[in-house]
Amino acid sequence: MSHETWQEQLRRGSLDLAILLTVSDGPRYGLAIIQHLEAFTDLVVTEGTIYPILGRLTREGLLAAEWVEGEAPHPRKYYSLTRAGIKRLNTMKAEWRAFAEKIERLMTSSERRAS
Amino acid sequence: MTLTEIGESRVNGYLFVLERSLRSFLPLEVVRDAVREIESHVRERVAAADGAPNEREALERILAELGPPLRVAQAYSAERTVDEAVATGRVVPMLRAVWTLALRTFVGSAIATGLFSAYAAGIGFLVIAALKPIFPNNVGLIGRNGGPWTLGAQFPLPPGATVHGGYWIIPVSIACGVGVLVFAHTTTRQYLTSWGKRRRPEL
Repeated sequence: MSHETWQEQLRRGSLDLAILLTVSDGPRYGLAIIQHLEAFTDLVVTEGTIYPILGRLTREGLLAAEWVEGEAPHPRKYYSLTRAGIKRLNTMKAEWRAFAEKIERLMTSSERRAS
Repeated sequence: MTLTEIGESRVNGYLFVLERSLRSFLPLEVVRDAVREIESHVRERVAAADGAPNEREALERILAELGPPLRVAQAYSAERTVDEAVATGRVVPMLRAVWTLALRTFVGSAIATGLFSAYAAGIGFLVIAALKPIFPNNVGLIGRNGGPWTLGAQFPLPPGATVHGGYWIIPVSIACGVGVLVFAHTTTRQYLTSWGKRRRPEL
């Protein structure tokens, strides 16, 4: 596997978690989600590809979507976490932390042996 | 930034291409919703842009960051492998969709095992048909010491084993291979179609 493929897989694998985290503090519309992700991460490579993921997470019942009109000159589609989404987010957070901790331990051990 | 007529045409052109691309594999109501959302994104970006250095460049930058319409459509496609597989009926998307479902549920993995086995069996028949003219003494119905015959290839042929039948194995294997592959493909498509219908109310 090339380095680029590995990076791409890492990015894709963490996007779901990043999106769920972004809407965890309240409903956000698509562009606001993208801007939040861009402010904290470099996970968004092509803005338009975030929307299909939002659609899938909605189909999976993790997000609820609602069109809001009148707030801006154009309608905005807001996404918020559902109860299932909150549950999934908590599980993903715990798994991510446990995973990151193990890799960190492995890297520390490897660096200690090397030095 | 307020768009001129030319800018509006550019946005509409982008949305038109996106809509046409999405229509090939998504239900119409989903396409409309997706295009509406992308249009909302573009309008939001345009409203926030200062139009520097000029409308054309500012708009192209916004659309470039959003991604080419075909790439955005492909992203929808990747998220909807099953819909794409059913719509096109192509082998690769169908196998990808079966694999995706196999990773989700136990039933999906059991069905995928059966379907992949059927595809493998079909390809196996065709491989036998292809190998027979090249290795006539190793490929065919192989019997050993009066035991049951098995269809296949053995390299080298074990002691006491004999290859029965002749070149007639080639058309039979081709017929069986094509038959099994058609059966596997049809069953796969029916399975994905029924799965897609079950999911449709969730859209």
